[in-house]
Amino acid sequence: MNFINGVTIAIVLFGIGLLGLILRRDLVIKLLSLGLVNGSVILCLVSLNAQPDGVPPIVRGPGGAPYVDPLPQALVLSAIVINFAILALALVFVMLLVERYHTTDSQRIEHEIEEEEGP
Amino acid sequence: MIIVLLPLGHFLLAALCLAWQSGTRVLTLLSLLVDASLVGLLFSAFSQGETLAIVLGGWEKGIGIELADDRFSLVFCILALLLGGSVVVYLWKERLRPYFYMLLHLLLGSVFALLFARDLFNIYVIMELLTLVSFLLVGYERKPYQIWAGLKYLLLASLGMGMYLFGVAIIYYHTGTLNLSILTTQLIGQQNASWLLIASSLLVSGIAIKAGIFIFSLWLPAAHASATPAVSALLSGMVIKMGVVVLLRLAPVFPLSLPLEVLSAVTGLLGIIYAIYTYDLKRMLAFHTLSQIGYLILGIGIGSELEIAGSLEYAVGHGLFKGLLFLAAGAAVQATGKEDIPGLIAKRSQIPVATRVGLLIGTMGIMGLPPLAGFCGKTLLSNGTDSPVIQAILVLLSIGTVISFAKLLPLFRLERGPSSPWPKTVAYVILGLPMVLFLPLTRLFLPIEQWRESFGTIPFLESLLMVGVGLLLYRFLPKRLANLPQRIFRLEEAILVILSGFFLIYLLSVLG
Repeated sequence: MNFINGVTIAIVLFGIGLLGLILRRDLVIKLLSLGLVNGSVILCLVSLNAQPDGVPPIVRGPGGAPYVDPLPQALVLSAIVINFAILALALVFVMLLVERYHTTDSQRIEHEIEEEEGP
Repeated sequence: MIIVLLPLGHFLLAALCLAWQSGTRVLTLLSLLVDASLVGLLFSAFSQGETLAIVLGGWEKGIGIELADDRFSLVFCILALLLGGSVVVYLWKERLRPYFYMLLHLLLGSVFALLFARDLFNIYVIMELLTLVSFLLVGYERKPYQIWAGLKYLLLASLGMGMYLFGVAIIYYHTGTLNLSILTTQLIGQQNASWLLIASSLLVSGIAIKAGIFIFSLWLPAAHASATPAVSALLSGMVIKMGVVVLLRLAPVFPLSLPLEVLSAVTGLLGIIYAIYTYDLKRMLAFHTLSQIGYLILGIGIGSELEIAGSLEYAVGHGLFKGLLFLAAGAAVQATGKEDIPGLIAKRSQIPVATRVGLLIGTMGIMGLPPLAGFCGKTLLSNGTDSPVIQAILVLLSIGTVISFAKLLPLFRLERGPSSPWPKTVAYVILGLPMVLFLPLTRLFLPIEQWRESFGTIPFLESLLMVGVGLLLYRFLPKRLANLPQRIFRLEEAILVILSGFFLIYLLSVLG
């Protein structure tokens, strides 16, 4: 039994990403950790449904072996695009915060916002 | 055809809004009217027993993406149209960038798309779209606290959707399908498989972060309290309900009954406790969103016909009165410059009369005074169950709601005030009128005999008694600010709480 496969790596990466989100105070690193979490999910989706000896699902392709299921790849493609959009947007808004407070430290930003007023 | 046109049309209009800057208001209002007629067509087809279902791209059902309509989606379409219309009218005289209307169209489009979605992955994509759009709407005014609240929302929601996708991966590996109706037949007899329990708790915790359930949606008070009033009304009235709709779709497929019932008690009671001791008006309303979600998922968790009808009615009612309350609260805050309730009461003569009437109708609705909207849903929910525990939870929730809204009562003295600008008054009417006429409208959801049975004199008296007890308890409640932990709403702590919530759900689904 081979324990080092895509799924276990995905679970470990998910854990690392979560720890990064919780423990690191730097907002940019938090976003990177979020990227890691979402990346690990994508790795899990692909490797769970991998068929190493399958052939590409093209009608005129080599016959014989069973076709690879193309759906997970299609799903992953949309998931990657969505995660890219979220990271890009979040970075823009982190930039706005940094311009204002001159720090990427999430706890200091949170503290200053609570000081300023605000609900 | 119509169910493709509704979402897609709004996405096209969103692009058009940027291109044609001057006429966006009129365009948006017209498009809502067109939507209303399309939904009317769907409704007439539905009442003749036709459900429209379409598989995109001409594929078979298992391969292509399926879109379909049913009772739930139609009812929520009407709610979305009412809220969207009132928000457009409310903002009629304010100078907004076309960007705002673009976001509004994207929001409406994704709401419609979600209501017709019948596919786990399609739901994922649309939920992510909703996250992005509502994040941009929260941060529309670019104030630092709005940006921070939005960023927290984006991070937590994105983490939640990661968990959801993990669950989807497990389910696809074991069943080879993502279509919910095919899944239902495939999962018969495997309800206790360990992979299914893990997958379903991942799915539910991911959605719960977006659905406004207390231990998961810890971003909600900050985001809903800091956004502009119109955006808060949309988010609280509509976007939160979309998470509930997804739970409604998942509940018959996966073993979720016990987790949802426990979550509803937790979110209801914790939300009420926080709301009682919050004196900032908009923040209190945000905590109330958390607590009222308890009613909705209670009905979904029990899952009987009557309970689901009760949830559905309460969802529509809640959308209407929470939208009204947020809009009117925003206008009141604007008129007085005060955000806390004591300050508002001190300056109540500056609040326009129409705004006060709007707040009053919303308050009466959320307290469950008959025959307004809240009353119908609450009555159906308590009629549908015999379990004493659930009855006790419902009574506690109702009384707690009355207690926390009793703070607002001094606002409603009969006094003259400045007149309200007409767009705001019309917006209140759009949301308030269906609320007042709600009892006859519930005939749409229920057969006539059941309707007669459900709304006799006893529920009337019961809900009046509940309001009386609540007002009495408010007199004797300690008024000082209890020190409730506010740390859990910070980003890092919120993630920890969400993780423990996930384990709670897993434990409960093993037990259930």
